Amino acid sequence: MFSNRKLEILTLVGIFVFVILFLLVSSQSDHQFAGSDDVGSEKIAELTGRPVESFTPLIPQYVPPSGEIESTLFALQAAFGGVIVGLVIGYWYGQKKRTPDT
Amino acid sequence: MHIMEGFLPWQWCLVWWLVALPFLVVGVIELRSLLRRDREYLPLLGVCGAFVFILSALKLPSVTGSCSHPTGTGLSVMCFKPYITAVIGFIVLLFQALLLAHGGLSTLGANMVSMAIGGPLVGYAVYRLLKNTSVNLYVTVFCVAAVADIVTYIITSFELALAYPAAVGGVMASFTAFFVIFAITQIPLSVIEGLVLALVFKYILELKPDLIEKLGVFSKEQIESALASDAHVPEEKV
Repeated sequence: MFSNRKLEILTLVGIFVFVILFLLVSSQSDHQFAGSDDVGSEKIAELTGRPVESFTPLIPQYVPPSGEIESTLFALQAAFGGVIVGLVIGYWYGQKKRTPDT
Repeated sequence: MHIMEGFLPWQWCLVWWLVALPFLVVGVIELRSLLRRDREYLPLLGVCGAFVFILSALKLPSVTGSCSHPTGTGLSVMCFKPYITAVIGFIVLLFQALLLAHGGLSTLGANMVSMAIGGPLVGYAVYRLLKNTSVNLYVTVFCVAAVADIVTYIITSFELALAYPAAVGGVMASFTAFFVIFAITQIPLSVIEGLVLALVFKYILELKPDLIEKLGVFSKEQIESALASDAHVPEEKV
């Protein structure tokens, strides 16, 4: 009965495995789960022998003053995307209901 | 996959900006002519762009003990080809550079080359390879999305390796080092991204098969057979 939902099930299984892997990794070690961007920056510092702080922006940029503000902006970014997706899918769904033949 | 502001010597910033700019310019021209031709594509463009926005905002933990984000460019590159995808990627990266200090204006060129251009281009090559074969349409979407994602990070590693060759072993040694940080972390994420985008594509196809056909993403026969296999089972249940 599920064969028309194969892709949904596969995706759920994928996400499930992903979460399990995360739980395993995070419980068994002292990983920081820092962003790979930052880990990459540290690697650059290591390769050049310069401290991370010595890399100053070439073009001055706005830095969110705290993690809270940063997460707000990231949430806004995702919410913006979510609104668009919902809007369009709903619009198409309405179109389809009106013209059931297509 | 962002190269942080200040972490790339200005010479390399310039090189990658010069590589990225033509794509951006052609993309804007293509985008304008597409929308002038037919406003019907605008909603689909919105959905493709929106997934880049959503997925690149999600920093997910990976098996290597660090976090990274998917890119979401696979859908867009299949529906609208690489140039327009470059524009979408540019908008997302610009937002993150200006407001989030993820990447910066000087490294925007390099970040575009990896996320908005290089990854999608290789994804597009995969799509062209699989398009006219008997490979299931959703498998194709999965492969395109996953490849576009992982290649983005391979290119980032390469960009950094070129700018920072290791004292011992040169470019290859430092490529390996960055590859471990970026690309290995990305493997599980790209699998998830592939699955999610294949699922999204399924819903788009169910609602708007005509649009996908008109854009020539897949042929009428491929779309019909995919829809038929989806719709087959509810009839059995009745």
